[in-house]
Amino acid sequence: MNELELKQLWQTTNKKLEENLAMNVKLADDLTRVKVHGIIGSMKPIKLFTIFIGFLWVVIGAGYLGGVFANTYQEANKFFLYSATVQVVLTAIALGIYIFQLSLIYQVENTDPILQTQKKLAQLKVSTLWAARIMFLQIPVWTTFWWNESMLSDWNVLQLGVTASVTVAAIILSIWLFLNIKYENRHKKWFHLIFSGNEWSPLMKSIDLLDQIKDYEPDGNVKI
Amino acid sequence: MMEKEEQKNFFQEIINQHKGILFKVARLYCRDEEDRQDLLQEMMIQIWQSLHKYNDQYKISTWLYRISLNVAISYFRKSSKREQRYTPLTEKTAQIALEDKSENENQLLLLEQFISELKEIDKALMILYLEDKSHTEIAGILGMSVSNVGTKISRIKEKLKSRFSQLT
Repeated sequence: MNELELKQLWQTTNKKLEENLAMNVKLADDLTRVKVHGIIGSMKPIKLFTIFIGFLWVVIGAGYLGGVFANTYQEANKFFLYSATVQVVLTAIALGIYIFQLSLIYQVENTDPILQTQKKLAQLKVSTLWAARIMFLQIPVWTTFWWNESMLSDWNVLQLGVTASVTVAAIILSIWLFLNIKYENRHKKWFHLIFSGNEWSPLMKSIDLLDQIKDYEPDGNVKI
Repeated sequence: MMEKEEQKNFFQEIINQHKGILFKVARLYCRDEEDRQDLLQEMMIQIWQSLHKYNDQYKISTWLYRISLNVAISYFRKSSKREQRYTPLTEKTAQIALEDKSENENQLLLLEQFISELKEIDKALMILYLEDKSHTEIAGILGMSVSNVGTKISRIKEKLKSRFSQLT
């Protein structure tokens, strides 16, 4: 099939469309009454709910821990106190990054050229990997928050050894994930394993789109 | 800056005159009828909301292609379904699908199917090429160099030809 034949064939779509296309004028008229949605109005309820829960967690956690630091620090279990503080601070940072990136995504113009717009959107989406990296950094504190001073004096070497090994393994794993979860490792098996659920689908599609855009750029260079 | 009523009339006029652009883009990016209606509505909302920023230095069709293609590609990306592309047509399934249709209809159906199988950006490029847009206009809509447009089109045409030849 040559170039002319391809285009002639495509033109038959136009004829078919003209015959069948009954544009719903009422729909167009209704749309003129649609209010311009801001970022919050345009977000899916589940996303809003997740942000709300994260925000609530940080506020309640910060309030509680602030109270402990200010009033009952001497009596408090320091392992729990510092583990919980690290967890709340990291969650707050991840939430902040996520909200900031969402706000940037909603500011991208759909009237700009396709490659420019899609590259900006996909890069922003892929940069939510930063939020995931920071969330993984908190793994070790989930192994230390239940520690207490009496366990250090009462437990035998084996018990302490096993507990400490779990924490050291969690530290190594979290640092490794923090350093390695990045766009450059997108084709690795472990990367696909971590980001395999439906909720990560938009992220993986953005990665795929960046690969396509890379193919269109003269220097093939896509920076995240 | 356009007045509200003027804006409304302008919107209805461009939707009526250029609805084919929206339908063709939606058709190739979204095969499911229900999803396609959602996509069309999203395109129209984006056009309406961007109307006050329309700059007549661009042809209205260029501006509409940018919005509709950007919305279609973003719609695909935002979807929680991991794989939305079409299952490639095999010789057997093609024969079943094409029974009882004229030769021309069959060819068109295959062309649409093969374009649907392309990756998102390649698909955008192919739609513009088949719509007989000049390389300069395609470069303006997509945001790439004119010389790169030619190279990419040749590669995609080769892919399409090879898909057609596999079935003959």
